[in-house]
Amino acid sequence: MSNINGKVYAMNAVTPMKPWKTWVLRAIFFVLWNVKPLQQDLINLSFIEFARWVVIPRRRFPDLGNAQPKEELQYDYLLFFSNFNGTWNQYIDAFSAVLAKGLNLIWRWSEKFPGSVPVTIFKEYIARVQFDTDYYYTAYPHATANDLKSAHIVQASFDVLSQRAQTATPEEFAEEYLDFVLQVQCHLGETGEAPVVF
Amino acid sequence: MAIMSKLNETDIQGFVLRGYNLTYARYFYLHFEDAARARKLIARLLPEITTGQRWDGGKPRSTVNIAFTHRGLAAFELPIATLISFPVEFQQGMKKRAAILGDTGLNAPEHWDELWREGRVHAWLGIQGLTSSALDTASTEMLALIEETRGAVVLDSQDAASQVIAGKATTKEHFGYTDGFGNPDYLGVERSTQPGQGKLMPDGSWAPLATGELLLGYADEAGELPVAPIPHILASNGTFMAYRKLHQNLASFRAYLEEHGRQYGGGKEKLAAKFIGRWRDGTPLELSPDAENQAIVQDPQRSTNFTYGADGDGTRCPVGAHIRRVHPRDTFGFNGKLIDRRRVTRRGLPYGKFADENEPVSDSDDRGIIFMALNANLSRQFEFVQQQWIEYGNDARLGNDKDMLLGNHGGHGKFVVQGDGSQTNPPYVCTALPNFVELRGGDYFFIPSITALGMLAMGLVDPR
Amino acid sequence: MPNNNGCVYGLTILSPILNDEKATPSHDLQIRNYLATLPTGETSPFAHAPGTHLCRLVVMDDVIYVGMPACEEHLKSKYLIFESNLDAAGGAGLESYLRGLAQAIPQHLDAVWSHCVGYPGAANAEAFVRYMKACQIETTFFFAAVNDKTVTETLRALQTQKAVADFIARHQGMEHAKLKAEFLEFATRLNAEPLPRPGTMGSRSGESDAWGRGRGIKTGGHNE
Repeated sequence: MSNINGKVYAMNAVTPMKPWKTWVLRAIFFVLWNVKPLQQDLINLSFIEFARWVVIPRRRFPDLGNAQPKEELQYDYLLFFSNFNGTWNQYIDAFSAVLAKGLNLIWRWSEKFPGSVPVTIFKEYIARVQFDTDYYYTAYPHATANDLKSAHIVQASFDVLSQRAQTATPEEFAEEYLDFVLQVQCHLGETGEAPVVF
Repeated sequence: MAIMSKLNETDIQGFVLRGYNLTYARYFYLHFEDAARARKLIARLLPEITTGQRWDGGKPRSTVNIAFTHRGLAAFELPIATLISFPVEFQQGMKKRAAILGDTGLNAPEHWDELWREGRVHAWLGIQGLTSSALDTASTEMLALIEETRGAVVLDSQDAASQVIAGKATTKEHFGYTDGFGNPDYLGVERSTQPGQGKLMPDGSWAPLATGELLLGYADEAGELPVAPIPHILASNGTFMAYRKLHQNLASFRAYLEEHGRQYGGGKEKLAAKFIGRWRDGTPLELSPDAENQAIVQDPQRSTNFTYGADGDGTRCPVGAHIRRVHPRDTFGFNGKLIDRRRVTRRGLPYGKFADENEPVSDSDDRGIIFMALNANLSRQFEFVQQQWIEYGNDARLGNDKDMLLGNHGGHGKFVVQGDGSQTNPPYVCTALPNFVELRGGDYFFIPSITALGMLAMGLVDPR
Repeated sequence: MPNNNGCVYGLTILSPILNDEKATPSHDLQIRNYLATLPTGETSPFAHAPGTHLCRLVVMDDVIYVGMPACEEHLKSKYLIFESNLDAAGGAGLESYLRGLAQAIPQHLDAVWSHCVGYPGAANAEAFVRYMKACQIETTFFFAAVNDKTVTETLRALQTQKAVADFIARHQGMEHAKLKAEFLEFATRLNAEPLPRPGTMGSRSGESDAWGRGRGIKTGGHNE
């Protein structure tokens, strides 16, 4: 029963929205999705493995009949699920410091959102709307998003070198090998345990 | 221009605002047995405490400053609401945070000096002197005050001193590196700022950091007053200090450098430079990757004035070099905003006997550095840097790799020197890393303002 | 298509949990108890069934009252949330994933979802897929740091990275012919290595069991 597995943290948050505001949010997400450069900041923050926002309109909670009572809600709900590396504080500090505008754009439609700057009050809001994970699985607990990206670079370079090694002379190989090392030299970090969470 | 209230330098302890550049230091560790006598002692010490007032008329011959652990504050019988309003990490003390800080294995508390293992240190009384005799005089005076008031028990003392070469005090530490660069500039604290020390602005210039990154009671980089204990008057103009006694294994360091310096294409001095990010004379690799250059070192407009944007592959300054790890500058993008709240001010001096390059040395010789980090928030600043940037490497995209010199390697790990295709700057991997530095103790302290000291002395603290 | 990002699929399932006052403990607590004992490392059911990068199961008790002037309201049912980030190239991707779960780990699916309204059981794969789709909520915005690599490719890359770092460190300054020979041998050996098992990876033991033993977590502070 933990939010944490190896180097990744599962955050869940649910916030209420007045239904008319949901349409604005959907439009914003549509633009974000189709105008890729807007996602660049998220990519550059490099500590999120996967994240998603899910809008649940008030009448669209799954209803499987069988005498399940129908929900009668005034608000639509925005669910947020993040899988990120690092500590809770580090994560929110980073977003508040560099993505405040983007965060505001997404969450200002949620009731009582205080804004993502300054950070202390923002953290109190998140603590209030966050709920905890019962079961968290990752196929690669000892690797962060950065480790994954590095690993793929090493794999790609290694595959090329392996090919070339078959037919190269020792001298040619030595040159190819040096090139290979130069390509991967920033990507050799060890994977392993996460630092103790605090 | 940022707006802030003017600093009252007479209310802030001088040790916070300046590195005194006084060659000799003696630190006493005190334990309070009785609140009333302890208060009397503080009252007697108060006029002796060196403030942040500028020394426009010349340096004093000695200085005195004082700081308290949480246990130390509790010994003054402060109200419980005040005591529990201090940050959790300060309440716990550094020993309990060992797992968080990576102080395990050889650095674990069970290997610390008895003084720190015991956990009875209540206060740090720091005395510094221009000369050895000035230091002795001031120390004698302070000890006399302690004795007269019976205000404390002196548990132990620690001497430290700059290395003096040819009659001049230097900033060299035992491994031969020139230390003391790059302390942050804060708004209102320095008279002038030095490019590279503050925070990076979008136009590439450097500006001072918000005062609240160092001092409680002032706006910080997040646009708010930093979390601080109550009441305000106890916290304002104060700061927190992480104090760590770092033993240096000089023999291991020299042997490792010799062995790998022979194999590394750039030679021993260059390899030493690659560990830290500066040549041993202080020249930054980023500005002068091939040779030492004192002209840069001596020029404050240049010595800390660089960024890593043009060196993304680490071919000049390795990606995992010490100074690049603890002050990434523009490395994370976003105009450096992700590091503005992770800066600390370093004070501290080497201790133990200096040894020439040719003098035989042993790892068990008593030498090292007393490291002190000052910051408004221990967990967000010092603890974060220690845990995430020194004992871990994910933000530098180096996975679990640790800082070459400070990392708690235990014989494992590696340090990659990124290179280019040339003979004198090849890629090179150092493995089987010993602990070059070992932690022998320390704790977290609160350095109160002069006003707060007065309140402690008079027993006049109410919470709200 | 918002559920897709490259070759990764963001599956969000909300299953209403049975609300039977006579059940002791209640169905949501039974789910919680079961999940608390389920391993999260290489013996996890999701390591056994293919295609899951990261996933979580969360019992959502209720929506959260954020305080006046917002209105207080409550859900009439509790929901089991299943958030999964999975390999699903092509249109049939999701179905093949769900069928994969039903085939590989039916006992776990049943143990968890039997407490949910209308759950048909994993024995009938078609019915199971239909049920999950009925509970599926469209992901409005899905972000993935790496969106073009499968679980298998990822595990292999991590294995390669580690082996390569080790090789480079051990072969510095080696004479060319020897270097080439040793590299070829290394490459052959590495390609023959079995794929690392999902849910683990790392030289030192770090598998956290269901009670978090082996996790290095100390409590932090409220303030920061």
